[in-house]
Amino acid sequence: MSISEIALAGEQTGNGRGAEFRRGLAASTPVLLGIIPYALVLGAQASQKGLGVVEVPLMTGLNFAGGSEFAAIQLWTSPPHILLIAAITFLVNSRHFLMGAALAPFIRHLPKRQVFPALFLMCDESWAVGLADAQRRAASGLRPAFSLPFYLGAGLPFYLAWVAFTTCGAALGPVLGDVETYGFAMAFPAVFLVLLRGMWKGFAAARPWLVSLVVAALVYLVVPGAWYVAAGALSGLVAAWFLAGER
Amino acid sequence: MIDPMTVLAILAMAGVTYLTRIGGYVVLRNRTLSPRAMAVMEAAPGCVLISVIAPDFVSKNPADLAALAITVLAATRLSMLPTVVVGVASAGALRWLMG
Repeated sequence: MSISEIALAGEQTGNGRGAEFRRGLAASTPVLLGIIPYALVLGAQASQKGLGVVEVPLMTGLNFAGGSEFAAIQLWTSPPHILLIAAITFLVNSRHFLMGAALAPFIRHLPKRQVFPALFLMCDESWAVGLADAQRRAASGLRPAFSLPFYLGAGLPFYLAWVAFTTCGAALGPVLGDVETYGFAMAFPAVFLVLLRGMWKGFAAARPWLVSLVVAALVYLVVPGAWYVAAGALSGLVAAWFLAGER
Repeated sequence: MIDPMTVLAILAMAGVTYLTRIGGYVVLRNRTLSPRAMAVMEAAPGCVLISVIAPDFVSKNPADLAALAITVLAATRLSMLPTVVVGVASAGALRWLMG
């Protein structure tokens, strides 16, 4: 192979990567627009709890997992209860285990120095888009099925938009908050109910949620403090364990 | 000035979340989970979210309970931002009306 051929081959791979990255961008754009309102609401809610334009991007930039951030902000006190927040974050994000395991066969061929940073960008959206693309490519015989530049193209805009718009929300929060102090408390349940609707897979699958709701409500009425969250979550998990035995 | 406890809590969240992200790849990639373990993991996020908002379902304020019912209905039909607007507006209006 002559030097010009090597250069050409290199250039083609470079272009291929750029094209794959742009293909990822295109795949994620429609979903990207959907997360902007979530980000603004989270930032605004965080500002109600005393987190500002420094703390909010610190959280959303390092943690980058919306569901756990909504839960943490809801439970946020001054000073924050670190163990409780870490435990709730773990429970909300435990689905990542399943997502990573599903992705594993497709990323096994990649070096770890690429896999570990790439997994940092794994959120519900980038995972869904990346896995669907890998399955499609595998079905049509393309190798490797998993395209890292495509995944990065799909994931990076989510990351940047999430950090940027949660920060905007934090900046706007104090302005909005003062106007509607009264009804603003309903914003939390509203957000959570929409998140739950997104996870809904029929009534049978939601029975553990009902157990969680009832137990958490009872514990809240009887026991002081934030124990109701742990009690409700754990009893729901136990219910899920027993209900799964029916099948 | 950032509160050091806030920074610690954020770092704890970030560390825990990153562990869940790499955990499936590192630990579960060569294993098959039992259907029961799968069912538990699939139910977990919903169980936590509903537990966090459980106190709203046993509120002693009838106006808030009515607003919650409206918000639940809105959440089944509308997207994020409209649901929040409906929830906040109904809570504000009902509190004002029902005093």
